Amino acid sequence: MKKRYALFPGCLMPTEQYAYELSLRETLPLLGVELVDVEGFSCCGEPMKSVNQLLTLYLSARNLAIAQKHHLDIYVPCAMCHLALTECQHILEKNPAMKERINGMLAAEELTYTEKTHLVHTVDLLHDVIGIQTIKEHVKKPLHGLKIAAHYGCHILRPKEIGRPDDSENPQKIETILKALGAEPVNYPQKLDCCGAPLLANLPESALTKTGQKLQAIQEQQIQGLVDVCPWCHKMFDSRQTKAGETVAVKLDVPVVYLTQLLGIAFGIPPEKLGLELNLSPVEKLQQEAKP
Amino acid sequence: MSIIDLTSMGEPQSELRKELNDRLTKLQDEISDYCFQCARCTSGCEAHKLLELEPHKIVALLKRGLLNELINADVIWTCMTCQKCRERCPQRVAPIEILFALKNIAVANGKQIPGKYTAMLQSILTMGLIQDVQQTTTRTNTTVKRDDLGLPPLSKPVDAAKFQAGIMKIAMEKV
Amino acid sequence: MRRIGVFVCHCGINIAQNVDVKTLTEYASHLNGVVVAKEYKYMCSDVGATLIKDTIKEFKLDGIVIASCSPRMHEHTFRRVANDGGVNPYRVEISNIREQCSWAHSDKQKATEKAKYLVRSAVSKALSLEPLKPSTLKVIPEALIIGGGIAGIQASLDLANDGFKVHLVERDPSIGGHMAQLDKTFPTLDCSSCILTPKMMEVANHENIELLSYAEIVSIEGSIGNYTVKIRKKPRYVDVDKCTGCGDCATNCRLKDRITSEFNQGMGKRGAAYMPFPQAVPLKYVIDDKKCLFLTKGKCGDEPLCKKACAQNAICFDQKEEIIERKVGAIIVATGYDVMDPAVVYEYGYDQSPDVITTLELERLISSSGPTKGEILRPSNQQKPKSVTFILCVGSRDETQCSWCCRIGCMTALKQVYLLREKLGEDVEINVCYNDLRSFGKGYEEFYRKVRGLHTNMFRGRPSEVRPMTDHLKIDIFDTTTNKLFEIKTDMVVLVPAMMPRKDAAEFARLLHLTLSGDGFFLEAHPKLRPVDTFVNGIFIAGCCQAPKDIQDTVSQASAAASRATTILSQEELEIDPLIAMVDEDVCTGCGICIEVCPYEARTLNERKRIAEVNNALCAGCGSCIAACPSNASIHKNFTKKQLLNMVDDIM
Ligand SMILES: Cc1cc2nc3c(=O)[nH]c(=O)nc-3n(C[C@H](O)[C@H](O)[C@H](O)COP(=O)(O)OP(=O)(O)OC[C@H]3O[C@@H](n4cnc5c(N)ncnc54)[C@H](O)[C@@H]3O)c2cc1C
Ligand code: SF4
Ligand code: SF4
Ligand code: SF4
Ligand code: SF4
Repeated sequence: MKKRYALFPGCLMPTEQYAYELSLRETLPLLGVELVDVEGFSCCGEPMKSVNQLLTLYLSARNLAIAQKHHLDIYVPCAMCHLALTECQHILEKNPAMKERINGMLAAEELTYTEKTHLVHTVDLLHDVIGIQTIKEHVKKPLHGLKIAAHYGCHILRPKEIGRPDDSENPQKIETILKALGAEPVNYPQKLDCCGAPLLANLPESALTKTGQKLQAIQEQQIQGLVDVCPWCHKMFDSRQTKAGETVAVKLDVPVVYLTQLLGIAFGIPPEKLGLELNLSPVEKLQQEAKP
Repeated sequence: MSIIDLTSMGEPQSELRKELNDRLTKLQDEISDYCFQCARCTSGCEAHKLLELEPHKIVALLKRGLLNELINADVIWTCMTCQKCRERCPQRVAPIEILFALKNIAVANGKQIPGKYTAMLQSILTMGLIQDVQQTTTRTNTTVKRDDLGLPPLSKPVDAAKFQAGIMKIAMEKV
Repeated sequence: MRRIGVFVCHCGINIAQNVDVKTLTEYASHLNGVVVAKEYKYMCSDVGATLIKDTIKEFKLDGIVIASCSPRMHEHTFRRVANDGGVNPYRVEISNIREQCSWAHSDKQKATEKAKYLVRSAVSKALSLEPLKPSTLKVIPEALIIGGGIAGIQASLDLANDGFKVHLVERDPSIGGHMAQLDKTFPTLDCSSCILTPKMMEVANHENIELLSYAEIVSIEGSIGNYTVKIRKKPRYVDVDKCTGCGDCATNCRLKDRITSEFNQGMGKRGAAYMPFPQAVPLKYVIDDKKCLFLTKGKCGDEPLCKKACAQNAICFDQKEEIIERKVGAIIVATGYDVMDPAVVYEYGYDQSPDVITTLELERLISSSGPTKGEILRPSNQQKPKSVTFILCVGSRDETQCSWCCRIGCMTALKQVYLLREKLGEDVEINVCYNDLRSFGKGYEEFYRKVRGLHTNMFRGRPSEVRPMTDHLKIDIFDTTTNKLFEIKTDMVVLVPAMMPRKDAAEFARLLHLTLSGDGFFLEAHPKLRPVDTFVNGIFIAGCCQAPKDIQDTVSQASAAASRATTILSQEELEIDPLIAMVDEDVCTGCGICIEVCPYEARTLNERKRIAEVNNALCAGCGSCIAACPSNASIHKNFTKKQLLNMVDDIM
């Protein structure tokens, strides 16, 4: 069955986390997903929540309204965006007065938030919509022998009451997908620890300490690699890994890839198409260590 | 009649507390009154492990109405938004939401916004996103931009003037 | 030749791990008079019992020794097993090799040696045990209930509905107890009098209940199944047969509204002729003989106005107190509690400001039948308060006052916060200073949550003092949730005082031979397994006289006590334990010392024979007389000097 989604890119992925975008655009169509590029999206609003929550709500509603105009479900690869949009729907659905107010403001751009739209993130898109069986069918180079840890990211797990892509306390969907790819997922005690990204704006030092502490723990457990599913987390774990290591005074050497990149590797897609050269962590180790 | 914090001579700002409670109920089903100070939130707080944030104390101070103290405290800006406090609170209190509200009130009251928030806000106003396309470095030390990778054009507000008009309306409004 | 069997119990590993039971059994089997010895894992189990019974039959035993736990645990069980097997139950001797051996020692070899001594002496006692037969006693199928609070009311109704005659003795002019003073009850907020009054009416009208209000116990004699009770009926100075409860006496009393009302906790006034509260049962007026002008001074103007006003001619000043006697088979004590006088914690200002009140006083203020008709007014100026502050645990959980938890204070305060919020509206500040918030009962935690949602300021901490200022009260409290010292300025302070045993509990306990626990409340026979029994057979306790508790628990206990009493009252005859004192008529000189020492009044002097006698029904087998008797004429059955000395000899 063909699945169509508006791709909601957000800010971070399309302006610097190209590897995520490249790899998802490469792998998802293979699995029968049609990604529709829609004009006019803006920031989801989440980064502004500390400054002005109404602005967050407005921006989220605006993006939802754009997708609704095209009658499309939305695929949100960023965990933060996914939380913003989900929460916005949650608030507007239960608070009609607020919905009316927001719609009043959206009128400036001739937009209306109409009804609840189906939202997916990479994790539930792969696990629930596409399904493990389909993924397995596409594996050409199984990742045998690779011990991989998953980092879900706080924002796709919590708060459970508004509906999140996986269980808030014991998420297992990425692990199931990793198994389908032939890899060996590891459950590790620090799995639910935060990546630190939300503090990047005002307390970068503390943010990097968080990142460093988690990576250090992973490194000490002889885990061969880390997968993530959020441009913010990836920015911390991969793009800033060296810095994070400096902050906690440890030499960090953990390969970090997007789940969609790992999917591509297992599907036998050439690394350049997956943006693997954009990862700053030693991802070549992953390719070497996988036993075909 | 009255309650005074004898250390700082601070008095509860019940109006402000009402406003904050109001906005919390509008945005979430969140009523801080129910907090019974089990400190489960602080026990699991990602920020507490690094910095001095104690979400249970934030709630306790809020329940006392000592909002000035909270709004002026730098510590409210240390929340990592991990949502664990909200997820695990046995009384469905969401310290994280209280922190967002406090930060919002601080900003509305003209408190200096820390760090890069102002730059991000500016960028959203001008082009709709927190930043424009960046040049990134590869592992082999070459630099690339979005276009170099064959990615389609960036999705962003088409009519900047209209987009800004919408946002400007919000500046006038309270939650 | 006697034929004794010895049964050694492992008690799981309780005994077996420190006593070598095999060796012990082997040893016992060779003792003089022993024809068989056996061991088993749990002698008290069904299998153990069958083993004993089968062995009795197989070896034709006429006495048995059980080496096991303390006789307090299972003596009764093994007596029954022996009886079923065909051995006189009083020819069972328990050798305590658990509490007094295996639990007390860790050297297995030495413990086994000690166990051998213990078993040997038990065998020697068994050899000389007399077969005894319990005597019987006719049960009087009537009950006495002391105290007419909700506990006494519930117990009375339960027993009366079971068909037993009940005599309910209440000290005050009306039944109802503390519950009658309450407005609404937590956690369901039922109106207290709405649920209590129907029960009080039922008591008044029940054909099986004799309500003796304004009455007190003078003495209690006798024992389980057959008690003789003397009751003092205080004069009401109102002929209850004539009084219709019209109230003309009270309206006309010269002292009307001049005497502090006990029922309203001193917050309202009454006259010398009064009815404690409108729903009182019996609905009869009473004249306060400590205040009435005519009764105290012999003169009330030209003539007592009450007498003049009463159309029924019910006022009768020449009423005298009356002592009546009732015979009952069982007694339930339900005398309730006292609220601590918070003035003992002087620094909380109860004696210093009229605006510092107790929760019980606040109940009266909230109640629409109370002194302010339900309006919450600040006592000092009769204005609506702008701020009310509760202080919990006043005198409770305090080693200088009452070390126990009052168990209802937290919920009472929460309930009152709820009711105040309802009556005073949103803009009144309500503060609660608590130490721990205990909301353990069904629906209680949910109620607590509800109250938190009512803009209640909860401070975790105990204020050091309450300072009366010129127009308000000031409390400094260090709140451990914020780690801050707050100053609360408030209009009214409500103290949650400790719940105490009745002032006269100790005296009352002596009257009934009850035991008090360390806190001064009546002690139950076992905190878990016999919670409403006392150490006196046939006397039960219910409600707050046993320990502080809420109405739910009080009523449950009352029904439990009634049901325990039924197990006695429903029998025609009771067996009386034969292990009691007897008199060797040949030796007794009739000196009467035993009569003086017997705490159960079981001894009398037979003037004709000039010897002391034992009333079998009263003797509790305590042994005081045996120790006291100078001529060795007092004998405790199956604990004779000879039997005991034999045991000692065998150990030496
Ligand atoms: C302020 C306050 C509020 C409360 N609110 C609630 C509530 O909302 N919900 C709840 O569940 N519980 C509440 N309680 C607890 C409740 O009062 C008790 O659980 C209940 O009253 C206990 O009943 P009782 O029969 O054991 O004792 P009592 O009510 O004390 O009754 C004992 C009776 O025995 C009589 N008596 C005493 N000595 C003698 C004697 N020697 N001879 C003859 N008669 C005697 C007394 O006159 C009295 O009538 C509250 C208590 C207080 C103080
Ligand atoms: S906010 Fe929730 S978790 Fe934190 S102290 Fe209060 S009740 Fe406990
Ligand atoms: S959301 Fe903020 S306050 Fe809550 S636990 Fe996470 S870091 Fe702490
Ligand atoms: S019930 Fe509450 S008020 Fe009473 S002593 Fe216990 S903790 Fe204190
Ligand atoms: S043993 Fe003696 S003193 Fe004790 S109750 Fe019996 S007769 Fe009285």
